[in-house]
Amino acid sequence: MTQPAPASPPEYPGISGLIHKSLPKAAFTVLSTKTDADLQVAAADLLELVQGLFERKELAFDMLANITGIDMGEDKLAVKYNFYSFKHNHRVQVTVTVPWANRHVPSLTSIYGAADWHEREAAEMLGLVFDGHPNPKALLLDEDVRIHPLLKSHPLQTVEILQGIEEGVPGFKF
Amino acid sequence: MSVWPEERVTTIDSFNTVDMTINVGPQHPATHGVFRMVLTVDGEVVVDCEPYIGYLHRGLEKLTENHDYRQSMGWWDRTDYLAGLCCEGAYCMAVEKMAGLEVPERAEYIRVMMMELSRINSHFMFLGAFGADVGSFGTSFIYAWRERERIYDFFEEVSGDRMFPTYFRPGGLMADLPENYESRVRWLLGSINQGLEDLDGLLTGNEIFVERCKGLSPMSTSRAVNLGITGPILRATGLPWDLRKAEPYSVYDRMKFDIPIGESGDIFDRYFVRLSEIYQSTKIIEQCLEQMPKGLVLNPDLPKTLRIDNAECYIRTEGTKGEYGVYAMARGGVKPYRMKLRSPSFCNLAALKEMVVGNYLADAIIILGSLDIVLGEVDK
Repeated sequence: MTQPAPASPPEYPGISGLIHKSLPKAAFTVLSTKTDADLQVAAADLLELVQGLFERKELAFDMLANITGIDMGEDKLAVKYNFYSFKHNHRVQVTVTVPWANRHVPSLTSIYGAADWHEREAAEMLGLVFDGHPNPKALLLDEDVRIHPLLKSHPLQTVEILQGIEEGVPGFKF
Repeated sequence: MSVWPEERVTTIDSFNTVDMTINVGPQHPATHGVFRMVLTVDGEVVVDCEPYIGYLHRGLEKLTENHDYRQSMGWWDRTDYLAGLCCEGAYCMAVEKMAGLEVPERAEYIRVMMMELSRINSHFMFLGAFGADVGSFGTSFIYAWRERERIYDFFEEVSGDRMFPTYFRPGGLMADLPENYESRVRWLLGSINQGLEDLDGLLTGNEIFVERCKGLSPMSTSRAVNLGITGPILRATGLPWDLRKAEPYSVYDRMKFDIPIGESGDIFDRYFVRLSEIYQSTKIIEQCLEQMPKGLVLNPDLPKTLRIDNAECYIRTEGTKGEYGVYAMARGGVKPYRMKLRSPSFCNLAALKEMVVGNYLADAIIILGSLDIVLGEVDK
């Protein structure tokens, strides 16, 4: 259950080499998934990196395809962003990992209109907080149901019992 | 005491309009499922729109995390339930990518053929329902249903179920096609072309329909891209982008077909792109029938219980409504650690507010219809 070791800094597989070349100041390390290069970036550096991905002509990541929130265990949450460029037909994945105690991630709604609903969904499903989101309401769940079903601590089968609970850490055993 | 008090008499000076709130849905035939939107109207013009979704939320992702790779098949074709096989295809591709499983060539061809039949099925549903939205009442519905029933009959013959076939498996297919499949599919294609002709004559040939749709709610390509809109709505804005060509998966790279596009991204273009796509799909199916090799349909090396160690992928397929993406992560064991559905309807519906505001109330229903949402996919 261990993550693969990060690639050594001079190695930039796939598209990440181009990204490093055109954004030399951006601080990220690179892993690769089965389909994409995966840039690991700190939450504080996310907006700057994404702004660069969006604006640089040789990168031109004009589409935010998907945002996935994941409960990584050990009190950590990860947010995965999948970007795509229509112009160059290339794609990249960006990962932000935040501790549960400080689960704030900057919102990308100022750059991508598509981020709106994706972020609202990740926020309600995992308890993430997207700073700067214009309308951070619940999307799929009822507004008075304050549970985060996709946390691993949330049980699969006691959802109906939990539905009256207003406060507290989700996933309590009753 | 006078019956009508003096101060209540309305004069022109005191005549002020107020915005009115209209609730549409969640149970309303025009919302194509359980979708609710609260429209604020000033007279006849919509000034604000607040969509509410989640009425069909079944916790797809949580369920997938808690069931093994084989069991989850059944949840996934209930997302886009009008084209269940396209969803199964995406799910299976994600699992195969993570596990490094090969799919036999014959199975790939059958998959493409079945996925295209599903696409036709879904687009016929759109044409029928959209015609009813615009005012063709029942005729378009009946024309579309005639063909859909025939396709569903074929699905039933192949897999045993009509809407939720659960026919694909990670590594191949549940079973081979029945022996007479080729003549059945060729008959089906003739019937689909007939249905296409009927609907084209009924809707495209109808001046009222065309007048109502042309120029309504146009959208620029750059705005559509920024909002994450994909599929026929994006192609209607004039961008010839189709994942079957941009990032070919399965055996789509061996198929010859065109990408229909529109000009201004208005409602008529969205309608016409879908109509043309049905014709392109029939061409793909014909090529599948011609090129179909013989052989196995399920990978013989498939383990009885699939276990996947650390792996991660983001698979994108051209679903019927747009980019149907599956983000998948495995960290050992028989269950996925996380699976996220990037559903095209979800992203397209997020742009509803921008399309509806500034148009007439009666047109809001048409604009919603033109998005061709499937609530099973929006709400997961």
